[in-house]
Amino acid sequence: MFTTFDIIDDILGLKGAVDRFFNDTSTYGRRFDLPYVNVYEKGDSLVIKAVVPGVKPEDVDIQLIDNSLVIEGEKKADYTDKPYIRKERSFGKFKKSVRLPYRVDPGKVQALIQNGILTVHLEKSEDAKPRKIEIR
Amino acid sequence: MTKDVRNNVIRDDVVLVPPADIYENEECFVLRCEMPGVGKGDVEATINNNELIITGRVNPEEGEDRSPVYSEYSLRNYQRKFRVDENINAPAITAALENGVLTVTLPKSERVKPRKIEIAFEK
Repeated sequence: MFTTFDIIDDILGLKGAVDRFFNDTSTYGRRFDLPYVNVYEKGDSLVIKAVVPGVKPEDVDIQLIDNSLVIEGEKKADYTDKPYIRKERSFGKFKKSVRLPYRVDPGKVQALIQNGILTVHLEKSEDAKPRKIEIR
Repeated sequence: MTKDVRNNVIRDDVVLVPPADIYENEECFVLRCEMPGVGKGDVEATINNNELIITGRVNPEEGEDRSPVYSEYSLRNYQRKFRVDENINAPAITAALENGVLTVTLPKSERVKPRKIEIAFEK
């Protein structure tokens, strides 16, 4: 069925694995805690994205604590009791805190999970915006 | 916060090999593979010469108007090849995408399915 070993492929695969280890550690190398996040900024709004494939929206909890956004959740295993030929995916609980560059308005937080990516929209809070002071 | 800003561009020549789980039951083989960022119309599974090729295309995150201030990942297109043998009923392969996880169901062809053999007894 799915051929799991073929000696030539394994040797070439090992070479590839060694090459990747030395040359390509930047992508998906475990340099950061899971889930990986990106932060985008535009004007007074922030967008935080996190990679959460296979995580259901009801299993994710987002909290604003001080000036951090805490993403906490569980990626539940979808294993069956059938025999597995390959098991490469990982499951489990995760918690990650993302420091925000400024205070955000807690009433204007929007979050959504689409295609395995969590997107959180945040707006800068009014009292964090610069204010012009009148001189009398 | 350390800044690690990369180009928010999807390169065509670099693909990511998505991690996969494969299990087997009496009826079929089931393959699950993680492709976050791939939408419904952007995934393709083809079978050709006993080679199952799964490809997924991703779109750059956000528009050009938003600048990345911190980055831990960059999305890449996905591709992975699997060798399958002739005992797969190729026309009956189905695939579904949910929450960034692609599930491909490869039914076994009739002749390799386990079959109960009726034993006739003499009276």
